[in-house]
Amino acid sequence: MRQSNIGWLFLTPATLILFVVGFVPFIYILYVGFFDWNTNAVDPTLRWAGLQNYRSLVFDTTFLNSLARTLVFAFFVVVSELLLGYVLARALMADRLWGRQFFRTIHTLPIVVAPIAVGATWRLLCVPGFGIVPYYLKLWFGIDYNISTNAYHAFVTAIIMDLWHWTPFVTLSLMAGLTALPKEPLEQAQIDGGNKLQIFWYVIVPMLKPVLLTTVFIRLMDALRSVDEIWMLTKGGPAESTRFIGLHIWINVFPKTDYGYGAAMSLLTLYVTIVLSWLLFVAMTGRKGGAQ
Amino acid sequence: MNSFVKAVGVGFISLGLWSSTALAQDSWWKTAAQPYQGATIRGISESTPASKYVEQVLGPKFTEETGIKVEFEATSWDQMYDKAIKDMEANTGIYDFVYIEQDIVYTYLARNFLVDITKSLADNAKIASPDFKPENFTTFLNYFKDPKSGNVMGVPMEAFIKPYLYRKDLFDDPAIQKAYKDSTGADLKPATTHDEYTQIAKFFTEYGADKELWGTTVQASSSHPAAFYEFFESVAPTFGVYNWGIDGKTFAATEANGGQMNSAAAKKALNYWVGLLKYAPPESTSSTWDEVAGTFAAGRAAQGLVYGENAAWIATDESKSTVVGKVGVALPPVEAGVMEAAESGKGYIGYYDGGAFGIPHSSKNKDASLLFLQYIGQASVQTDWALAGSRIVMNSTYHDPKIVDQDKKMNGYYTLMREDGKLFAGAPPFPFHAQVLQVVAPFIYKAIVGEIKPDDALDQAATAAEAELVKLGYRK
Repeated sequence: MRQSNIGWLFLTPATLILFVVGFVPFIYILYVGFFDWNTNAVDPTLRWAGLQNYRSLVFDTTFLNSLARTLVFAFFVVVSELLLGYVLARALMADRLWGRQFFRTIHTLPIVVAPIAVGATWRLLCVPGFGIVPYYLKLWFGIDYNISTNAYHAFVTAIIMDLWHWTPFVTLSLMAGLTALPKEPLEQAQIDGGNKLQIFWYVIVPMLKPVLLTTVFIRLMDALRSVDEIWMLTKGGPAESTRFIGLHIWINVFPKTDYGYGAAMSLLTLYVTIVLSWLLFVAMTGRKGGAQ
Repeated sequence: MNSFVKAVGVGFISLGLWSSTALAQDSWWKTAAQPYQGATIRGISESTPASKYVEQVLGPKFTEETGIKVEFEATSWDQMYDKAIKDMEANTGIYDFVYIEQDIVYTYLARNFLVDITKSLADNAKIASPDFKPENFTTFLNYFKDPKSGNVMGVPMEAFIKPYLYRKDLFDDPAIQKAYKDSTGADLKPATTHDEYTQIAKFFTEYGADKELWGTTVQASSSHPAAFYEFFESVAPTFGVYNWGIDGKTFAATEANGGQMNSAAAKKALNYWVGLLKYAPPESTSSTWDEVAGTFAAGRAAQGLVYGENAAWIATDESKSTVVGKVGVALPPVEAGVMEAAESGKGYIGYYDGGAFGIPHSSKNKDASLLFLQYIGQASVQTDWALAGSRIVMNSTYHDPKIVDQDKKMNGYYTLMREDGKLFAGAPPFPFHAQVLQVVAPFIYKAIVGEIKPDDALDQAATAAEAELVKLGYRK
């Protein structure tokens, strides 16, 4: 078989761009993570710290709490969006649904709204004293809802906001996947006497797995690095109850200008994300890596 | 007839002199700006009333006179800092002038971020306007001078104190006065002590239970540095705790090491301040300075400490404020002995806030920016700017008839600023401002939401602040 090297030539620009915007910053962050570097310190130069930044992170409860909070948030939003997205996808595919196209359009609109606008809008809806959400929760259910004093309210609101914004993405992905499924295995399963749950679990889910995997990965990555929406909604509060890891890193790197420590945090977070993704991949495919 | 001819003659001569002077002034800006015709200078600032005036009025006027285009970005406080600092750190040169808040100037000086305006004008006399005279400014200019050289590093554009605003209509209402007397045994008048303030707050919260009226504003966002600032720069000084409770020489924060951050006075102050939340509207735990102004303007609080930059529109702009004509102005309440300490110059009763425009070292249009900063530093533009933004940075502005007139409508806010401004002080000269703020603020947030007690919050905050100062190398 003859091989041509011309393909490499076509790949070169993309490879170079990837190298410059991806690999070089990564190496730089890796490098900075081994230094004590704060431009506002008495000595603003880089000072070798070895593994000190990483050692400190292991005992930094604020960092660990932020990380744990982010994982809980990511778990809730990904699972909820997957379930809700599937239900909505099936509903919007039903032939009997009147005004299906209209609902599809309405349902998809949140995806096009910028995260910063989503956060600002939800903040206006939820701000105590003026927002309509606290007003009606009090009026109808007697709930004193306050995202600036109640950590639970703030956390749940952050989850609901994320569901509102990103469930349509999951719905669209699953609709595309479901539409592309072959009819024969489903008909065969019905003929074999499988009930709806069995057909869903043993036929639809395995066939939908590639789409599910992609969707879950995308949403998991997004949820783990959620910053802008949360910043606008709660600024990480009340106290530190919605200070997710992205916000925490931002605060350390920018206002605090603690670059070495911030770099170490970023790398550790990246490592956790990769491990989680790998575990998820193994759990969903039963394989330990590599393409089929 | 003779005298009529003389009068006409004198009139024409005066007109001629006036127009030639005006033309000469125009021609000076035009001549000086000639080499920079068509250039664009970009600035960034916090979206405040004073900044908006620069964006909407002064920038376009400068462009008209010089041909230098001004692009102005008025954004949120945190975005303003974030963008400006990143630009100066990375030396990208996106901005040609930046807002230097009085808090951050020492950090910028320590990092050599700013162009020395005095030196630059001395080195390039062609662009030194005869109308820009640093001696015309109030002493607020001193905060924007390099402590080593005494040179000007920023042109003041905003300056205000944080006064105690109260609802004059409510305080002067005989029926309310009687109810207050019946309830407390005291006469209703603006508070001069913290106990009086709390008592008034409690009374109006009970009185206003069915009227959407509460006893006080509190700038107590549970996740925004505004809460840190209100406590350490507006409330703690009234209890005699200065410079955030950090010793300026040893950089100690804990009382054990000679600091004041967790002193008995500081703890009393935090307990008082957090205690006011039960007399404040529900939005208070989400409020920064803007929301506090909004709350007062909406008539939702009987009294409060409100940033003076908002005093003009709250007191005079009916399109935004429901309390026009009802605003009283006074000095904040203090603990015994604090006023005396402030009067003798040993302390202060609050923060003298504001900012200046400076030129980043990374600017690619330094000369054109220097022209712009001098343009906004002329005495002739100050009055209308003050009317729009309740900010005064020049002594002459206080005496302008328009300001005197507005002062009456504002219940003497400008008079208070002129006569008692000396009782207030700028931020402490800490180059580690942002670093310590980020470390201490979470403890204040936790005290606001009741996660920890105020006393514990300050104990932990002082320890954390000291650890940060050790890490930064300030404290050995």
